Amino acid sequence: MTPHDEARLIAAARKGDSRAYAALVDAHQQAVRGFLRRFTGVWADADDIAQEAFVTAWAKLNRFEGRSSFRSWVSGIGFRLARDARRAHGRAGARDAAWLQTQEVAENEAPIEDRIALERAMAELPDEQRAAVALCLGEGFSHAEAAAILKLPLGTVKSHVTRGREKLLRGLETSDGH
Amino acid sequence: MDTEARLRAALVAAGAPARDPGFALAVIRAAEAGRYKKEAARSVLRAGGIAAAAAALAALGLDWAAGNPAAFQNGVLSAAGLISLVGLARLMSARARVLMKR
Repeated sequence: MTPHDEARLIAAARKGDSRAYAALVDAHQQAVRGFLRRFTGVWADADDIAQEAFVTAWAKLNRFEGRSSFRSWVSGIGFRLARDARRAHGRAGARDAAWLQTQEVAENEAPIEDRIALERAMAELPDEQRAAVALCLGEGFSHAEAAAILKLPLGTVKSHVTRGREKLLRGLETSDGH
Repeated sequence: MDTEARLRAALVAAGAPARDPGFALAVIRAAEAGRYKKEAARSVLRAGGIAAAAAALAALGLDWAAGNPAAFQNGVLSAAGLISLVGLARLMSARARVLMKR
C-alpha cells in the first residue's frame, strides 16, 4: 500500500467508512499481531490486544497527526495496552503456553529447541527491551520507528536492541549445553 | 547454522502470523458494538434528563395551578382555543389542496 493510498483510506475512515478502515486493518494486521505476539509471548492474548488496538485507533483516528506511519501508531497503542495488561495479570501462564505455541508452527524451519529457548530468553527481557527487540529484529521496524512507538529516545532503543540481541544469543547458546 | 542464523529463524517462528481474513471483520464488528453501546448509554442518559426536567416542570406547574386556580383555568381554555384554531386551519388548508388538485 502506497502512502497516498493509506492517506486516502485514513481520510475515508475518519468519516466513518468501515470498508476503508477494514482495508487499513487488513494491510497492517500481520505487523501489529506479529509484534504483539513476540512482545506478550501469548498468541491468543496478543491477537485480542491487536484487535483492541485497532478498535481504539479507529475511535481516536481524528487525533492521528500522521507524524509516524499508521502501522507505527497502532503498534504504539497495542504496546501500551499489552504492557498494562501484563502489569495487571503478571506473567503467569505465559511460559506454560510457550510449548503449545511452538507446536503450532509446524512448517517453520527453526528447530523446536531454539524456539523454546528464544521464548524463555524473550520472557526474561525487561518490557521495553523485549518490545524493542520484537519491533526491530522481529518485524523489521527501524530504530526511529521503534523509538516513536515506545516513546523512548533513539539511543535508548538502539541500546535495548543491541543488549537484547546479545541476551537472546546467549539464551540460544546456553540451550545447546542442555 | 551459526547462532545468529538460528536466532533469526527462531524470531521469525516466534510470532509471524498468517494473514487472517476474518481479523478485519472482527475489528469492525467490535468497533460497531462499542459504538452501539456508547450511543445506547447516551440515549438512556438523554431520556432520563428529559424525563427529570419534564417532571420538575410538571411539579412546578401543579404547584402554581394550586395557588392560582382562576389563571390556570384561563390558561387551559386559551391553550384549548389555540389548539382548536390550529387544527381548523390545517383541516381547511388540506381541503383547499384537494380542491385545487381537482
